[in-house]
Amino acid sequence: MAKRATLLLIAFIFILVSFLPVLTLLIKSLFPHGNFFIGNYVVLFQSSRTWILLWNSLSFAVVTTVLALFLGVPMGILFSKTNLPFKGLFTLLFTIPFIVPSYMIAVGWFYALVPQGFLARILGTQVSEIMLHSFFGFRGAVLVMTSVLLPVVVILTMTYLGLVDPRLEEAARLSSGWILTLRKISLPIISPGVFLAGLLVFTLTLGEFGVPSFLRYSVFPVEAFTQFSAFYNFDAAIGAAVPLGIITLFIVIIERFFLRKKNFELMETIGKEARIPIELNQWKPWILILVIIFALVLVIVPLAGLIIKSSSLATFQKTFKNSMDSIFRSLMYASIGATLLTFFGFFIGYLLERKVFRFAWAIDSVTFFLFALPGTVIGIGLIGMWNHPTTNFIYSSAAVIILGYAAQYAALGERMMAATYAQIPYSMEEVAQITGVGWFRRLSGIVAPMANRGLITTWLVGFLFCLKDVGVTMMIYPPGHDTLPVRIFTLMANSPEETIATLCLLMLGIAFLPLGALGIIFKKSRFKSSC
Amino acid sequence: MPKKYLKIIIFFTTACVFSSVSTTYARTNEVVVYVSEDQVFSEPILKDFEKETGVKVKALYDTEEAKSTGVMNRLLAEKNNPQGDVYWANEPIRAVVLKQKGISAAYFSPNAKDIPSPFKDPEGYWTGFSARVRVFVANQERAAFTSICDYTDEKWENKAVMANPLFGTTTSWVAALFTVWGDEKAKAFMSLLKQNGVKISTSNGESTTLVVNKQFLFALVDSDDATNAVRSGKGVQQIYPDQEEGGLGSLILPNAAILIKGGKNPENAQRLIDYLLSPETERKLAFADCAQIPLHPGVQTPPDVKKIEKIRSMKVDYEAVAKKLQEIQSYLKGWVGH
Amino acid sequence: MLKIENVSKAYHGIKAISRVSLMVERAERLVVLGPSGCGKTTLLRMVAGFIQPDEGKILIENKIVSDSGKCLMEPEDRQVGMVFQDLALWPHMNVYENLAFGLKAKKIPKHVVHQRIDEILEKMQMIQFKNSYPKELSGGQKQRVALARALVMQPKILLMDEPLSNLDFELNLSLRKEILKLQGEFNTTMMYVTHDRDEAFSLATRVVIMGHGQIQMIGAVKEASDYITNLYKRA
Repeated sequence: MAKRATLLLIAFIFILVSFLPVLTLLIKSLFPHGNFFIGNYVVLFQSSRTWILLWNSLSFAVVTTVLALFLGVPMGILFSKTNLPFKGLFTLLFTIPFIVPSYMIAVGWFYALVPQGFLARILGTQVSEIMLHSFFGFRGAVLVMTSVLLPVVVILTMTYLGLVDPRLEEAARLSSGWILTLRKISLPIISPGVFLAGLLVFTLTLGEFGVPSFLRYSVFPVEAFTQFSAFYNFDAAIGAAVPLGIITLFIVIIERFFLRKKNFELMETIGKEARIPIELNQWKPWILILVIIFALVLVIVPLAGLIIKSSSLATFQKTFKNSMDSIFRSLMYASIGATLLTFFGFFIGYLLERKVFRFAWAIDSVTFFLFALPGTVIGIGLIGMWNHPTTNFIYSSAAVIILGYAAQYAALGERMMAATYAQIPYSMEEVAQITGVGWFRRLSGIVAPMANRGLITTWLVGFLFCLKDVGVTMMIYPPGHDTLPVRIFTLMANSPEETIATLCLLMLGIAFLPLGALGIIFKKSRFKSSC
Repeated sequence: MPKKYLKIIIFFTTACVFSSVSTTYARTNEVVVYVSEDQVFSEPILKDFEKETGVKVKALYDTEEAKSTGVMNRLLAEKNNPQGDVYWANEPIRAVVLKQKGISAAYFSPNAKDIPSPFKDPEGYWTGFSARVRVFVANQERAAFTSICDYTDEKWENKAVMANPLFGTTTSWVAALFTVWGDEKAKAFMSLLKQNGVKISTSNGESTTLVVNKQFLFALVDSDDATNAVRSGKGVQQIYPDQEEGGLGSLILPNAAILIKGGKNPENAQRLIDYLLSPETERKLAFADCAQIPLHPGVQTPPDVKKIEKIRSMKVDYEAVAKKLQEIQSYLKGWVGH
Repeated sequence: MLKIENVSKAYHGIKAISRVSLMVERAERLVVLGPSGCGKTTLLRMVAGFIQPDEGKILIENKIVSDSGKCLMEPEDRQVGMVFQDLALWPHMNVYENLAFGLKAKKIPKHVVHQRIDEILEKMQMIQFKNSYPKELSGGQKQRVALARALVMQPKILLMDEPLSNLDFELNLSLRKEILKLQGEFNTTMMYVTHDRDEAFSLATRVVIMGHGQIQMIGAVKEASDYITNLYKRA
């Protein structure tokens, strides 16, 4: 009884604070002046601009996804299964673009390509000018987003490959080489994981605001932001966000009906015999060179652009001093946001994995829908919901930002905790239950301790996402509550390039905190299980 | 997995929540200002105000993407629940819109006395300071461009660029032309612009960059964009169009300080407005990279910032421009291709 | 057929196998008997080629396949079949595809593939499950499929790593008989690893008793039985 009531209450609170704003947005757009009116939608879909934006958004997402999978799956295999040297370093390196706000990679490329940039000195001004010209628009946006989201594919591929029972691969190795084994055994088994990676890349690209905004590529999230901010007609602005909602719904349907069907059994093999790496032999140096080239193009060039532009220690000190408040707020709000995400994830993940209610799938679909929805749309919804005198205590405080985080990233917490609970046999709770222990006690005494690692990982991943958020925060932050990513964005207009570059590097520095912590946790757990 | 990590996280988060709540709700001596002027220029002024008066400033800044109307539209959205005390607009048209929508309140600052009357609202709803001018930024090696009609000169077909007339100061400029020339002449001009292949960029900043990179010969931008490019030695020149005797004149767009109706800190708001309208603030903004032109007479300026009295200004009524701006929105959307 | 010469293997400084030498004759059923952690599975995996000995040599039909840490012949070239403890049936392939995978990899003609699979499934009484997936089969049926998959490749040596340890007593007994029958029919050299004494004695022509990574004794079933009995008496 207590279990069901508690879970129901928390699910209800989550829906209220996270989904209701978006739902209200949709209803408002259909009843703009109290009467049902779809004139805005008619105008919207008759406009050629809508279809141009749709084409731009979809082509941006599709091409980025294809490239990320094409590069990421082989890299995932290389870094998890072969004897390629410096694997750990490469994994860390390729992860860097993901841990900072994505537009920073675009900024780094820009500084590298401008006539005064280091690439101009290496390649010549003519070449770099041509590259700079091509960079603004579709090509640049795809390049940047591919480098930002490549780690999603790499890490998911590595994770899922790590779950494949090595005996399945060894059985194949008795009659075939590694390439056939990977092609016919390992990759088909992890195909749900690869598909999930592709879906995540597609979703995150579709909702991306910062990169296409900086590179002047017209896509829906930028249009929604500009329409809402630049036009006086709020009703039409709300209507402009709807195409994103429709695409997002399709993504949710695909995810629910396709991914859930594929349910191959993967056995957890950590702690069992070590996997034998694939020997690259004579291919090793060539593959190493190829990986280094990709690292240069996707990571090192934009980072170098930022580092070289930031140049002096004096600039660093001055910029740090001027931005200390924003840095502090970023860390603070990300911490609170991560805790809220973990809280929701703890309960909603439990509800989902243990199938406490039949409608658990509906809540899961809602969280994924919100994750896929661009942050700008969620922000518009939150303003509509909380901008009243009676709820001003939320609207005028950081609470509105935290609620934005909860709405946008709840799916992460919920899915990660559900995956954690899947590792904990239900019999553990049942044993406690028949001895008379109540649900809350079971939760705190049995489930939470066993889910310890999952809780901390969820918190750190949530912290990372909240820390680098731009889309939601940009729309709704109250005066005096700007975070570092937002500060960088607002300062970009006419600020000295050295200042912007320095701020980007500061952001990178603080983003390393959760990444470093995650690395320590996983290293310790691997060491423990191999002893 | 040690429980200590969880305890650390719980302790840290509690501290963060406490800190956040206490900073939000603590009774502090503060003023909330919404700012459309670029943060890099406005923030130092606000920080100086903080230092000199001890009043904490909470600011909300615009972005390039919001085209300088983002915060204005937030003010409109918050009409029934005002969060801001002051609005620092980067041009007066938005200030007039706010007056028309009942967002602003009248305030006659003592520092407004010496500001010329064309640059302030007679009813006190907004007061101008530190102006920008719509100027050409042009390739240094080519012939001088002297009039906005150069945009329609066949000689310069496909060689000129301007920012999207749906946003920012370019909208104001187009609306001003409509009020000065009348609808027919203005629409004819706009058609000729299209026929002459004028490229539409996303912002004045981008227009400037395109001219600096020699992709186009000239662009009509704001004087701060042009001065910045000249000062950075980017091989361009700044030209004030239509300055000849009897000429149209260049459109002057001062910043505007507006008191928000229903703000929670009215006294501090008035102090801030007084500070913004002071000659000292104008002097700072003239010497900053935004190179804005003081409206107070006798304010010290660097050599490359023209005095206001030396510029032939376009004779506009900002109220009429604001009204016209809203009227021509759907025409402009059609013109741009929305 | 199979020679293991002075082979040692250590993990994290701890010796799993220490100077083990033995020979397996053609068509012999050699059973390696020992408690968990004695090194018997490590020995089997070295013969398969999944791990290399730190010291010593392994020869198959007088060809050196592993020598002091170096793999001189890849697993897929050793013509060795293996039945794993957890069977390792590929979950995304049905029974036919599980058996066909290795044959197709060796570029065996299609009609030969069909023929071989049908023959072995008939022998296993599993022909009606040709299109079934592993999750649709019972424990005993999966066991037969795993065995069929190893045998369909006509290996020189069949390695079996405690394949019956997860089965109930009756099934265990019946599958022992099947293994004996099939080994006799195919005349395959077999190296079988188990911790179960009865299983070992019922299957072996010769028994190797391992403990603490070393061979304690090699001999016929009777000798091994006496050895163990004496061990208990001494204990």
